[in-house]
Amino acid sequence: MQEHLGRQDGVAKAEVSLIDGKVTVWPKEDGRLDPAHLLKAVYDSGVTVAEMTMTARGHLEKGPDGAVLLRVTNNEIFPIVPNQLSRDLESLAGSSKEVTVRGRLYKKPSGKQKARSGEPLRLEILEVLKKE
Amino acid sequence: MRAKHLLVLLLLGWTFAPAAWAQIERVEMRVEGMT
Repeated sequence: MQEHLGRQDGVAKAEVSLIDGKVTVWPKEDGRLDPAHLLKAVYDSGVTVAEMTMTARGHLEKGPDGAVLLRVTNNEIFPIVPNQLSRDLESLAGSSKEVTVRGRLYKKPSGKQKARSGEPLRLEILEVLKKE
Repeated sequence: MRAKHLLVLLLLGWTFAPAAWAQIERVEMRVEGMT
């Protein structure tokens, strides 16, 4: 799986820990990595993803419907799941301030629920690491 | 002429730098069924 992930677009390095079932992927210098593509690549290698988190630096914006979005690169935008942390950051939407956050992009549905495919990954902010 | 070039470079840098700084730093996954 490590080799398979390492061959994916935008991946600089992938590390797989068999002991705790943890996979870490670092992007190439331009930081353009598609988490949805990674999720699919892991499934293709025959294992189930229980949870996916991302640490990213970007700008906050407001979408046409008023929802807060994190723009990571010019064409990578993640809708943000509203929670206390996202509400605290809302005032930064549209400003030039950059934020670094760690958030959950995917969690395996519990029980017999099926994973929704085709929907954009939404970012649930777990931690605000930096505001600058 | 040199000053003009410098100004253009500064403007280009100002325009594109924020996009270059913004990026995914790391993606982590917890997986099941790995042998």
